[in-house]
Amino acid sequence: MSNVYLPITVDHIARVEGKGGVEIVVGDDGVKEVRLNIIEGPRFFEAITVGKKLEEALAVYPRICSFCSAAHKLTAVEAAEKAMGFAPREEIQTLREVLYIGDMIESHVLHLYLLVLPDYLGYSNPLKMVDEYKKEIGIALDLKNLGSWMMDELGSRAIHQENVVLGGFGKLPGKNTLELMKRRLREALPKTEYTFELFSKLEQYGEVEGPITHLAVKPRGDVYGIYGDYISASDGTEFPSEGYKEHIKEFVVEHSFAKHSHYHRKPFMVGAISRVVNHADKLYGRAKELYESHKDLLRPTNPFANNLAQALELVYFTERAIDLIDEALAKWPIRPRDEVEIKDGFGVSTTEAPRGILVYALEVKDGRVAYADIITPTAFNLAMMEEHVRMMAEKHYNDDPERLKLLAEMVVRAYDPCISCSVHVARL
Amino acid sequence: MENGKVRIGFYALTSCYGCQLQFAMMDEILQLLPRAEIVCWFMVERDSYEDEPVDIAFIEGSVSTEEEVELVKRIRENAKIVVAVGSCAAHGGVQSWEKDKPIEELWKAVYGNATVKFRPKPAKPVEEYIKVDYRIYGCPPEKKDFLYALGTFLVGSWPEDIDYPVCVECRINGHPCILIEKGEPCLGPVTRAGCDARCPGFGIACIGCRGAIGYDVAWFDSLARTFKEKGLTKEEILERMKIFNAHNPKLEEMVDKVFQEVKE
Repeated sequence: MSNVYLPITVDHIARVEGKGGVEIVVGDDGVKEVRLNIIEGPRFFEAITVGKKLEEALAVYPRICSFCSAAHKLTAVEAAEKAMGFAPREEIQTLREVLYIGDMIESHVLHLYLLVLPDYLGYSNPLKMVDEYKKEIGIALDLKNLGSWMMDELGSRAIHQENVVLGGFGKLPGKNTLELMKRRLREALPKTEYTFELFSKLEQYGEVEGPITHLAVKPRGDVYGIYGDYISASDGTEFPSEGYKEHIKEFVVEHSFAKHSHYHRKPFMVGAISRVVNHADKLYGRAKELYESHKDLLRPTNPFANNLAQALELVYFTERAIDLIDEALAKWPIRPRDEVEIKDGFGVSTTEAPRGILVYALEVKDGRVAYADIITPTAFNLAMMEEHVRMMAEKHYNDDPERLKLLAEMVVRAYDPCISCSVHVARL
Repeated sequence: MENGKVRIGFYALTSCYGCQLQFAMMDEILQLLPRAEIVCWFMVERDSYEDEPVDIAFIEGSVSTEEEVELVKRIRENAKIVVAVGSCAAHGGVQSWEKDKPIEELWKAVYGNATVKFRPKPAKPVEEYIKVDYRIYGCPPEKKDFLYALGTFLVGSWPEDIDYPVCVECRINGHPCILIEKGEPCLGPVTRAGCDARCPGFGIACIGCRGAIGYDVAWFDSLARTFKEKGLTKEEILERMKIFNAHNPKLEEMVDKVFQEVKE
């Protein structure tokens, strides 16, 4: 008779956004089952916004997530504008990207320094690193403050931005503020490079090495970036964003308030590493050089490479934001907003949120939301994440359970999951 | 308090984690550390203990599962001071927007006929289940709200609620009035100040994220009358006011009153 032992569980994974747990069931012949329990309660964002005025729904969507509220706001607004056949002026789009980059910088920095680094340095809590790692904490705070400040200026605040509206912005910062933003970004560049160097030295565990299918939004204009109308897969296929449902299937699993997703019947990954894997040829500047010299670490076959890919993006997006601000300044003065004629229609926006592809599909009828489908990166990643935790568990189930727990958590943290995002924001 | 250190717990229910993020992002948190011991704060501390005694328990999020009902009760037993943090904990949050729709209907719209092994409940403010001593408002709260509350606790005092509307700060800043000059349905007149009228400063109408002013001085009826004069229907007015105030016991009654006046 084969025995099944009490599962090894982490009820509440620390240092991730949201509330989730890991459960590893071990029997005599090894790991029987691995479950990522997503226990945070449902918030039914799609259901509660259907029938509501578009502007009010657009104010509520960012509240899905604090770490990437700007991503939610900007993607929702683009979907709504597409539904009504409106395209923002080029300079408005440019400044929206700068705002999005502010979110990217803040989110990556918080993930890398606050959530990931303590594991590698042997701390339970990043705040305890202050005395020993003054420089690192200083850099983390500076970069985080830069990202937050960019969101303050362009989005009204760092969490739950209200300044992005249909047709543009409520108000734009002055020319001097944008000049100052450029200067601060330039000053931040060495700190982003230091971050990249630091994370290039951290172990990427061989236990979870194996083939991964990566999905990422194909950036517009052939420059590595955030907005796009096609999704590319690392298997070489490409499909228009509107067709996401034909390729990505969502399903409910009983241990999770968040749905799982398969691409062509298999788990897949999204996130910084997926962007790098699929679109490294579109990088430029210092990030391009760093990619070339660290290709082996930024490989497609290990989820831990996501940490370094985020560090690479810190370098890239800091440089990119400077160029984008220059583009905007060349068109100064900029009118903040155009009137958007409220029309019926359906629009899909796919952008690259800090954690990967974010999908908003909105139908607008009489100025109200008639249909909403939102799929978040973490929901895409859950199935693959579970696979990788299983791979880790298969190698370590005989070790000290505390060691196994830490390693399992580290796999989860490498994905930078955003559990608040993943929960219940998808519709069947 | 042990060794002169105040024992702090930061607990999350169903939310976006924005209140904790705001708390964690205060540069001043490093100054607080020498005076505090973090007993439970899963977002930053791996060695977190949910069921340990604390001096101050900060709770973020709405109560949205059976498990969370149990959790808040345990937190109450273990804490000297319980603080409901942010719009979800204090008022039920945006997930309460459709509080009158049966949860089965919401569930079906999102999950279809599938079930999961945890038990969801309609979103409610923490105070529906346990006694709350203080509240920090906002979606998210301002950093200074945290500093003020913590500062008062550390000197043995307590934070006072702001009892005036966003309009006061809006006037002080000299922003053009969104309601009168732009004719948009700004909720500033009924919403608790403390945000320095940020959104009106960007030319954006307030959506009430800090919740209605307390002490029964949120005049939903007067504002509803103004909205009505601008052509909004009762449903439209309630919809907007409910985004952050769905659980306010006075709201519907006061708006009803305005629309009953017409019939007479």
